[in-house]
Amino acid sequence: MFEVALLASILSGGLCGILGYYVQRFNIVTLSFSVAHAALAGAALALVLGLDVTYLALVFASSFALVIGIISTRVSTLERELISMGFFSLFNAIALLMIYMSTTYVLSTASISVVLWGSLLAITKPKVITLLGLVVIFSFYIFMFRSQIDAILFDRKLAEAEGIDVDFHILITLLFVGTAIAFTLRLTGGFLVFTLLYNPVASTMQLIRSAQRQQLMSPILGAISAMSGLVFSYILDWPVGATIALISSIILISSYIARIVINFRLVRIASREDSS
Amino acid sequence: MQSLRGEAIRLEDVWVAYAGSGRPAIRNINLRVNLGNLVLITGPNGAGKTTLIETCLGLLKPIRGNAYLLGVNTRRREIIKVRRLCSYVPQDFMKPPYETYTARRVIELGLASKESVFGIIPNDIRDYILRIARTLRIGDILDKPIGRLSGGQQQKVYIARALVRRPKVIFLDEPFSSLDRDSRHIVAKTIHEYVHENEACAVVVSHDVEPIKDLADLVVYMDNGTIVSMEEIGDV
Repeated sequence: MFEVALLASILSGGLCGILGYYVQRFNIVTLSFSVAHAALAGAALALVLGLDVTYLALVFASSFALVIGIISTRVSTLERELISMGFFSLFNAIALLMIYMSTTYVLSTASISVVLWGSLLAITKPKVITLLGLVVIFSFYIFMFRSQIDAILFDRKLAEAEGIDVDFHILITLLFVGTAIAFTLRLTGGFLVFTLLYNPVASTMQLIRSAQRQQLMSPILGAISAMSGLVFSYILDWPVGATIALISSIILISSYIARIVINFRLVRIASREDSS
Repeated sequence: MQSLRGEAIRLEDVWVAYAGSGRPAIRNINLRVNLGNLVLITGPNGAGKTTLIETCLGLLKPIRGNAYLLGVNTRRREIIKVRRLCSYVPQDFMKPPYETYTARRVIELGLASKESVFGIIPNDIRDYILRIARTLRIGDILDKPIGRLSGGQQQKVYIARALVRRPKVIFLDEPFSSLDRDSRHIVAKTIHEYVHENEACAVVVSHDVEPIKDLADLVVYMDNGTIVSMEEIGDV
């Protein structure tokens, strides 16, 4: 069971790490934030209806990713952000309402932990195989559209002017985000799932400036955060989602401090060279 | 795409405004440019020259009037396919020193919308990239990271990227801004030759009219969001 969870943590941490990188560079952080909470609402509704938490979260997140992805091509960036935040509030309200409406029996089972803070027990072999399939499909997509994605990362406006369908790639990215989140929330819980999307890329950007190296570093940090969070939660008997969030936050703070130290040393070396 | 052979750009009473702005950035613009022509658009800062280019490409949508690129209304989704027949050299091109894409890769990325999936670039295209790069005198810097190049070298990389796409319409926004005197004339001559050899169309926005004014078929002067004057040179 632990080995299965360990593999799931590496896969979902790595996948969320690279997806988070694209989310940040495509400037769709708010959109993906609301997609993550759509998954949470779906998972909470599954509790009340007695359905599989992952699959209803998947339906909610993917449907919402599709809808908001299409809407975002027709409105300004500001309107898109406002609409996303509106949905974020709505999905949070649905999630809390569903948890409130759940029976005492449901609240006493492991299902609730999937929604709130993640669970080792919630990760089954079929779910890991599906997650592995998702990683393969995503890798194939990246390989297939490598040049177009690179062109967008290099200069989004120029890529658009040259006839690359930027909206299509954003929509596909959002769909992958929705799917990845639906599976990852078993590990991290619905409220902390966004940590694995945001923290690895934020840490990477403190340490590395090159786009190509960031694409490598972000999934590595994601996988390290998820895997070490899982191990510590097992040793300390802490909730797995909170432990992963804690580890990835420590990595983020450490990267920030490391950047300050590096900058300080650069200034000191330059000053020494100037004075000599 | 009805009139690929004749008309490149048509603007009919075009007005464009930015969200939250009190007044239109360009207004009452009527312009028709045919393939085989080189157009120079000039005017002071804030005249609306860049807005005009972005409107032609469909990156900005008119609030009034219609813009057509190669016969397609820029409001239609089909414009994405039409843009694949065009190239654009933006005004803001400078990349920071940490940008590690090589100059060659930046030029190759210009083919991303045209090439088949998997990003495989045939040998004849690679040779063509080298030929264009040598013409623009950047053949020896192709394997250097773009962020380490000077402003002038970076600008030439973008111009090479635009030409490598073999566009029917090429939009260049201040393409001489970072170039030295010799390079300006090389770039102007290269664009002029490309237009006439390929029956293409080039729209050059520039404050600096000296390198291109004698090569242009049409000179458009803009001020305060409108076209103030148009001077046709030769058979337009």
